[in-house]
Amino acid sequence: MNGIHDMGGMHGLGPIEREENEPVFHHAWERRAFALNMAAGFLGEWNIDMSRYAREQMPAAEYLATSYYEHWLWGLERLLVEKGLLTRAELEARVAELRRRAPK
Amino acid sequence: MSDEHDHAEEGSPLTETELRVRALESLLVEKGLVDPAALDALIDTYETKVGPRNGAHVVARAWVDPAYRARLLEDGSKAIAELGYMGRQGEDMMVLENTPKVHNMVVCTLCSCYPWPVLGLPPVWYKSAPYRSRAVLDPRGVLRELGVEVPEDVEVRVWDSTSEVRYLVLPERPAGTEGWSEAELVGIVTRDSMIGVAKVQAPARGGRR
Amino acid sequence: MRRVLWAADVGTVLLKGGPARLPDDVPPRFKPGDLVVARNINPTGHTRLPRYARGRRGVVDRDHGVFVFADASAMGRGKKPQHLYSVRFGARELWGPQAAARDVVYIDLWDDHLDPG
Repeated sequence: MNGIHDMGGMHGLGPIEREENEPVFHHAWERRAFALNMAAGFLGEWNIDMSRYAREQMPAAEYLATSYYEHWLWGLERLLVEKGLLTRAELEARVAELRRRAPK
Repeated sequence: MSDEHDHAEEGSPLTETELRVRALESLLVEKGLVDPAALDALIDTYETKVGPRNGAHVVARAWVDPAYRARLLEDGSKAIAELGYMGRQGEDMMVLENTPKVHNMVVCTLCSCYPWPVLGLPPVWYKSAPYRSRAVLDPRGVLRELGVEVPEDVEVRVWDSTSEVRYLVLPERPAGTEGWSEAELVGIVTRDSMIGVAKVQAPARGGRR
Repeated sequence: MRRVLWAADVGTVLLKGGPARLPDDVPPRFKPGDLVVARNINPTGHTRLPRYARGRRGVVDRDHGVFVFADASAMGRGKKPQHLYSVRFGARELWGPQAAARDVVYIDLWDDHLDPG
């Protein structure tokens, strides 16, 4: 698809920002998001090409405004729901429950 | 990964993203689709076991052993596997030789494809919009920004990783390292040099380890 | 075909990987040195042919062999085994006369992405 992910040659996306000695993961949730993607992919319900296509379908503005592992999370949620391993309803219900229980 | 642990770590309420990741993990574990211990093993592998030091080993070996270098350039996957590095996101490797006349640089404009077995997981900048957009369009500008000046008579080759073939740059061995052992050479090969956005520097006198 | 990844298997699974190379005996449409043109396709589905290369002329530098065709695989259309090539494009061909004369971009493209040049 002619999505925002197809960035070769674009202008205006800013300077290359580098962090010296950056850690592999910047947040605990990134570790989990990475591992969940790998483990869920192993189930065999989709292949790597499908997982890339899933991420490509993130709305362009959201794609540019979010981080790499947020793209992975978005794509993973989409694939799990698409393949019937989860429903949107149960996912949102669990998120809401954790939000209620989380320390303020 | 208890709520308390994260709360203590960050001192603030959980973000929406953190909530979503926890929700997802809890559901998948409950449904028996993922093994939490497997998640920990995956994280541990890429946080502590697989990284650019693997690639540095390949490069250093190629620098000291001309026969290995030839095998590496002939069949990257096979030669890299000789040193024990193989597998996910590195099943088909091609090694690109930098010379005084050719400078190679690797990117994945469409996503973030990167040779995990030899370099680990890619750094944020490699996966970012600025690098992905500009590497193919203005490689010399990108290199200059990252501290590498490429003379006009040198050919810059940018490799866009659009398939499952993964690319590793074999940087030039710097002057001043004559007689160094493979182990000493491993210490100076940087990740950036194997992506093709840096040259390997020999440390100043006394820096040899 | 659902299988769960157990902790004890993580090491082996990662070392094995998921090769996209296929043993299928499919004839190549091109060989190294051939002039090719990247097709001007604009699918709404998945493609690994980037926009910046579409309609551009290049030279086949290498035949990587037979691989899963990502564009088809992503859309549930099967593996569609075909040859994958490293195709070399001049920077000026891609970006115009302002680009560096000497520079090139190599892109991995499949048979279905290319026409004879």
